[in-house]
Amino acid sequence: MKPQMITLHINGRTHFVALNPNLTLLVALRDLGYTDVKCGCEKGDCGACAVFLNGVAVNSCLVLAWQADEAEILTAAGLGTSEHPHPLQTAFSDAGAIQCGYCTPGMIISAKSLLDHKPHPTEAEIRDAISGNLCRCTGYAQIIQAVESAAEKMAAEGPAVFGGAGGEG
Amino acid sequence: MKYQVKPLPPFNLPVLHTVGKPLRKVDAMGKAVGATVYAGDYSMLQMLHGKVFRSKQSSARITRLDVSKARALPGVACVITGFDVPNARLVSDMPGQTGQKQRAGSDVPVLASEQVRFYGEPIALIAAETLEIADKAMSLIEIDYEPLPGVYDPLEAMKPGAPVVTPPDNIVARWKIRKGNVESGFEQADLIVENTFRVPYQEHAYLEPEAGVAWIDERGVITIRVSTQVIEHFRTIARAVGVPQNKIRILGTMVGGGFGGKEDITTEIYLALLTKHTARPVKIVYTREESFLAHSKRHPYVIKHRTGVKKNGLITASKIEMISDSGAYPYLSAYVLLYTTVMAPGPYRIDNVQVDAISVATNNPYTSAFRGFGGPQACFAYEQQMDDIARQLGLDPLEVRKVNYLRTGDCTATGQVIESAAWLEETATRAMAALGEQTIDYGSVKIGQGFASYFQSYGRITWLHDTSQSWVGIELDGTVTVRAGVPDLGAGQANSLCQIAAEVLGVPLERVTIYCTDSALTPLSGTSTATRQLYMSGNATLTAATTVRNVLLSRASKHFEEDMEALDIVDSKVFIKSDPSKTLDLVDLVRMCASEGMHLSNLALFKAPFTDPINPETGQGQVWPDFTFGSFAVEVAVDTETGEVTILKAAACHDIGRAINWAAAEGQIIGGGMQGLGYGLMENLIVKEGVIKTPSLSEYLIPTSMDYPDIQAIILESGTGLGPFGAKGIGEPSVTPAAPAVASAIANAIGVSIPEIPITPEKVLAALDQAQATVMK
Amino acid sequence: MQSEIELYRPQNLAEALTLLAQYGPDGKPMAGGTNIVVELRDGHHNCKSLVDLSRLKELRGINLEDGYIVIGGGTTITELIDHPLICMHAGILKEAAQLFANPLVRNRATVAGNLVDASPAADTAPPLLALKAEVQLMNRAASRWMKLEDFITGVRKTNLQPGELMFAIRWPVPSDRSAGAYTKVGLRKADAISVLSAAVMVELDDAGLCKQAIIALGAVAPKPFRAHEAEALLLGKVLEPELIAEAARLAAETTRPIDDIRGTAAYRKRVTAVTVRRLLTRAVEVLK
Repeated sequence: MKPQMITLHINGRTHFVALNPNLTLLVALRDLGYTDVKCGCEKGDCGACAVFLNGVAVNSCLVLAWQADEAEILTAAGLGTSEHPHPLQTAFSDAGAIQCGYCTPGMIISAKSLLDHKPHPTEAEIRDAISGNLCRCTGYAQIIQAVESAAEKMAAEGPAVFGGAGGEG
Repeated sequence: MKYQVKPLPPFNLPVLHTVGKPLRKVDAMGKAVGATVYAGDYSMLQMLHGKVFRSKQSSARITRLDVSKARALPGVACVITGFDVPNARLVSDMPGQTGQKQRAGSDVPVLASEQVRFYGEPIALIAAETLEIADKAMSLIEIDYEPLPGVYDPLEAMKPGAPVVTPPDNIVARWKIRKGNVESGFEQADLIVENTFRVPYQEHAYLEPEAGVAWIDERGVITIRVSTQVIEHFRTIARAVGVPQNKIRILGTMVGGGFGGKEDITTEIYLALLTKHTARPVKIVYTREESFLAHSKRHPYVIKHRTGVKKNGLITASKIEMISDSGAYPYLSAYVLLYTTVMAPGPYRIDNVQVDAISVATNNPYTSAFRGFGGPQACFAYEQQMDDIARQLGLDPLEVRKVNYLRTGDCTATGQVIESAAWLEETATRAMAALGEQTIDYGSVKIGQGFASYFQSYGRITWLHDTSQSWVGIELDGTVTVRAGVPDLGAGQANSLCQIAAEVLGVPLERVTIYCTDSALTPLSGTSTATRQLYMSGNATLTAATTVRNVLLSRASKHFEEDMEALDIVDSKVFIKSDPSKTLDLVDLVRMCASEGMHLSNLALFKAPFTDPINPETGQGQVWPDFTFGSFAVEVAVDTETGEVTILKAAACHDIGRAINWAAAEGQIIGGGMQGLGYGLMENLIVKEGVIKTPSLSEYLIPTSMDYPDIQAIILESGTGLGPFGAKGIGEPSVTPAAPAVASAIANAIGVSIPEIPITPEKVLAALDQAQATVMK
Repeated sequence: MQSEIELYRPQNLAEALTLLAQYGPDGKPMAGGTNIVVELRDGHHNCKSLVDLSRLKELRGINLEDGYIVIGGGTTITELIDHPLICMHAGILKEAAQLFANPLVRNRATVAGNLVDASPAADTAPPLLALKAEVQLMNRAASRWMKLEDFITGVRKTNLQPGELMFAIRWPVPSDRSAGAYTKVGLRKADAISVLSAAVMVELDDAGLCKQAIIALGAVAPKPFRAHEAEALLLGKVLEPELIAEAARLAAETTRPIDDIRGTAAYRKRVTAVTVRRLLTRAVEVLK
């Protein structure tokens, strides 16, 4: 196997990295320091590693980094900071939706993916949207409330205001 | 079933400003924006990657172990086997704590060199420049096993001639309760009800697999950054590694879920050994599959109940026998067994109790702490037993319980007096009322409602002489600092201490910062286990903050020329209660005190009650500081053709004494409840000949967002807890009643009870088939 | 241990086919990677070269052509859920897509990937079988259509030859007098490997008799299959409850399930009978 240079655009920054072909996007992201992308199972069973890949929410553990060459990647940390959090990040913090926090970045990616497509989701739609993100701490109820409250806030502020730092759908 | 909800006795809890509110926790935003760094997120320069080579046999002698090819691989810094560290032994049964009190059993070799007793047992450690090289080195280790007969059933393991896993006879622990006289109790009974219940393994399945990074410095101090529930393990680690206790430093990280699975030592000793041998930083991160193999599980039990009752439901005698599977090494089996033993009869007033409990070693995966620590297992059995008693007597399930429920002032089976509120009927009626009208059956779907009541301790076993420390200080700008060893598992352990300090010192929560979980630099607060942190560290923080408050108010009383009791501090302003327009900025007061040399910080030690161990023959004596009481109710729809169970509604009502953070308390109730529902319906760890057949999250199923509806959390606050502001504990209690509640609802739906969990669709059909067969006979 | 592989990223279909021809049995196509990447991680993958199709536009698209719905092999499961053609003409495929794994996996997993992986529990197979789907296999030289029923030959075994990829899947637009029903039985309501997945399509003639019934079952045999004997029982008859129940029983008898960690063979047979009965009943209801 020979490492090859690939280009990854992550949260608005461009990285040139030499990687072996068998490395996943998850490993590549974490090795570049994007440790907000969590590793929970490396099999697509838990959703902790979810990121936006060219605007589509995916398990980064199921994408080979080479497949993401030239792609726009957005991680949860790219959506906002403590000083300027994304409404979802604020809503999660205020609704008690965060306990250990390990599922949170992936959960927020799935929630944002939902709100990008359905700005006024029903509870059933929220449950379905996060059904690939396991949470062992919260029992999901407050997470659902957080998504509902973020949806309201984002709808009130107008569409496409909260895009985060990279390209997304 | 419709139950009347009676009003609660009047209780006037003082109005608080910060405590009780659903404030944003101090750790929330960091986690929301992905800034919080977990153990596996750390990297250091010159860091090596560590891997653990594990046994692929459940019971075998190691006849040949050759690591030479692995050692020779370029990029491998070291390979360590049990032969290299023959004195490395782990004290597996010493619960890490602030002081050592009592051992229960035997040691575990850190690395097996002669014999392996479970599938996954660690045999060698590798440190290499990259993970890839470490993986390759793993495949170069050559090992030959001579399989030995293994034993995989506790009953088999007790038989003479069984393979010995724990010498001399596989018995790891025994407990007994003898209260009153069960034989005469049975004679008084109108009816005797007997049942045997079985509860399975449960896997913690925290989202964060075990991880850590360690390094050794110029003084020979080994620092271990690790996801752990216990930083006091540094003592045990030091002993296993062969260094002085004051040369191991644990930096606990924010834990990505613990639930008892990170209560025992996980990666720490491996990290310490590798960094000591290479003099370089080392990182270990477990894969999910490795996590399944490497850490403990909840103890499976077989619990047999024999209960004598009067026609009106009064229990005259309770005789209980139980056996748990301790697995390959003792770990905390003896203590878990104690919990199940003492809680075995349930929250009921029974004069004549006999409990015999035994924990037995096997070559199965080892078992240890899991949220509830033996309480959920006991609760499944005692609540199902109560339901059967009700059924056989033709009485309503709540009526039968009301006759027997413990009240404040009654004694448990070990003679411990319940001193706090015991709101059993109060919580049962409220939980059931929250379910509303029962949904009507349709087609082949039958609906049922059921509930379970429980009691669960908070605080550790009192003869372990538990203590906790916390330091609170106020800075010159009026911000507050808390220092405490407390590990935060996500349940808000650290945040609660901040909210308490904020309340007492009258500052907004945003002005409090906590430095925690450093075994060298923060005062030791003890383990994040046993639902003890709020009680112990909360009280220590309350004491420390109150001391600082008193210093401040003593100076302020001179300033205002008023008694201290006439003053208060809210929102960083000190004022006279009867004339709030007279204020003094807290910052100014602090500066006054500081310039006069008044001490504005305090280190407080809080002690739980210190008792002696219970009588080993009778089990009589105090066991814990206190108990939390509550109930859980469920409505289910059972598809009688496919056996599938759907939860339609769920409600949990607990008296938590006092909520410190309302949203966090709800989160514990809902999250713990969900873990209990998973335990009752879908979590199925399949183990065959000691091998876990379901070592991934697609095979071992935990609930997703689609599986169960919201659990309605109904919080009651009696204010009678021993914790700060009258708080009790909820971390473990929240899980205890859920599985029996759902079992109760299923039995109500289909008219047949299933005495074993998880209640899978196949078990439902099997029960229905058997009931049909019985009817037809 | 991670597998050693070579990964090739063709810019277009022609390049992809050339690469596949070049590598022959040592090369395999890969798109979403939701199965293959896991196999790589576990060291279970058995070929040296992977050809990444995930960006080829030629493999996307859902169209109506000459009375057939034709979908590109690279269509993701998510794309099936909201597409009007699927909603209108393949409701059972949409339902299967909605229950497939979870949204994150659906965003990457492709229909071709699911069929070529040929797990006995492949969730897109029963609805596609019920729709009488055909698959188009293409290599550098030519392409061929094959019935899906013939494409999967056993556990993880298909008729895909070295050098080939699955270019498209098509099925005839069902008549107005037909209705379908789908369900999945699993141990959890999301993200569950099927214990049984089943799809039926029922078409009635002008007299209200059964013109065609298709019963497709997954996870209860070495491969997803049609219960032909049960289907034959219904042909030309009025679909009354007793007949439906008998067909369901017959369908269950033709399953060849195994005992595994998710359930016993006996349970799978039993639940097949119940499920097929319910699905047929539901489809017939719609047609009333």
